[in-house]
Amino acid sequence: MNLKTLISILAFAIITTLTSTNMALAKEVKTIEAGDTEIDIRIFPAPGNVLLLGFPCDEGKSIAEEKTARSLAEDGIEVWMPDMLSGFMLPKVRSSLSGISTEALTAIINEATKTGKKVYLIASGPDTELVLRGASNWETNHKNTKLSGAVLMFPRLFKAAPVPGKAPEYQDVVGKTQLPLLLLEGERTPNRWGINSLSHELHKSGSPVKSKLIPNVRGYFFKRQDANRSEDVVTSQMAGLIKVSLFYLQENNTHD
Amino acid sequence: MIKPLSLFILLFSLALNLQAANLKPFTANTATPALKLNDLHGKTHDLQDYKGKVVLVQFWATYCGPCRKEMPSMNKMIKKMGDTPFTILAVDMGETEAEVKQFVKEVKPEFSILMDESGKSISDWQVFAAPSNFIIDPAGKIRYTLFGGVEWDSDELINKLKALASN
Repeated sequence: MNLKTLISILAFAIITTLTSTNMALAKEVKTIEAGDTEIDIRIFPAPGNVLLLGFPCDEGKSIAEEKTARSLAEDGIEVWMPDMLSGFMLPKVRSSLSGISTEALTAIINEATKTGKKVYLIASGPDTELVLRGASNWETNHKNTKLSGAVLMFPRLFKAAPVPGKAPEYQDVVGKTQLPLLLLEGERTPNRWGINSLSHELHKSGSPVKSKLIPNVRGYFFKRQDANRSEDVVTSQMAGLIKVSLFYLQENNTHD
Repeated sequence: MIKPLSLFILLFSLALNLQAANLKPFTANTATPALKLNDLHGKTHDLQDYKGKVVLVQFWATYCGPCRKEMPSMNKMIKKMGDTPFTILAVDMGETEAEVKQFVKEVKPEFSILMDESGKSISDWQVFAAPSNFIIDPAGKIRYTLFGGVEWDSDELINKLKALASN
């Protein structure tokens, strides 16, 4: 076998491997009508019976989220990531959340439930408001069917900046759903000391609430430019973290 | 058409507003939460004992980039405050003494670093950001808040705190 033939065989093998890998990880984009708008949903299909519906609101730009979605799909968890901001032509700022209609959130959840899979919701930071709002409205209209739970990563659900010596006020949507909830918070953020108070408020409507601290990371660690070694490691293991979270939601639906 | 003087006044007002955005007046009608913690040398500091002084209560952590950056300016601030009755109580949020001592060795803060490994004061003060700063007047009332890092030795901040001390 001469060098030219060897290179050709190697090139063919590499191309074949890359193509098959891409096929295995291929994502679909599904467009659904949601109220007055159309929402594109990036779908990372998987054969299992679990579907994770994320509301990243990042216009699909987060590499960590995309990589995590692919990894989860490889492990049999289907992931849907609707692009809510583009659907409503909203900029990536916190105030945009109120511009996302509850009707659209509910329509997407409804579409997910049509797959017949167990549907879990996930969001981080202020986007967690979308999960609670969508779930609450969906539950109102679907008394006989249940969503399986939601993972709220670094939930930031204050109505306004908390005042020293006064109980914090949360957004109206807190304490409106009965969805089993798992709260994840970084160990290295002052918000870790507010997690019990938030859990208590979320539980008032009947949600079983669990909370877990992620050691040695700050809030939003997977979006940070200045991530440290611990944060890089946890970011690289995000799919595992989410799988453990889903396990807690399945197995531990009791309030701490 | 805007006259030059009017334009100057407008721009000056805008500049003042932008600068004033650093320190936010605290208007809530709530009592100042208690703060009684040990410093790195084991000495107990009780906020109540500092009545008669302006106190900067800061909640910070070694992992917080802005906290690390602004601490040298807090050292300069103490010098600029001169004889004004003023002190800084910087509360570390839930870290170990070993972590904080290493930081102190590097940054050399010239003010009291208080330790709160249990996080009780952080809950009492409803701290949700690092750093979180509270300016306490000589009567013990919270007068201003500031969330995020700032250059504490700026003339504007120094003048504001000196004015608070003399009121």
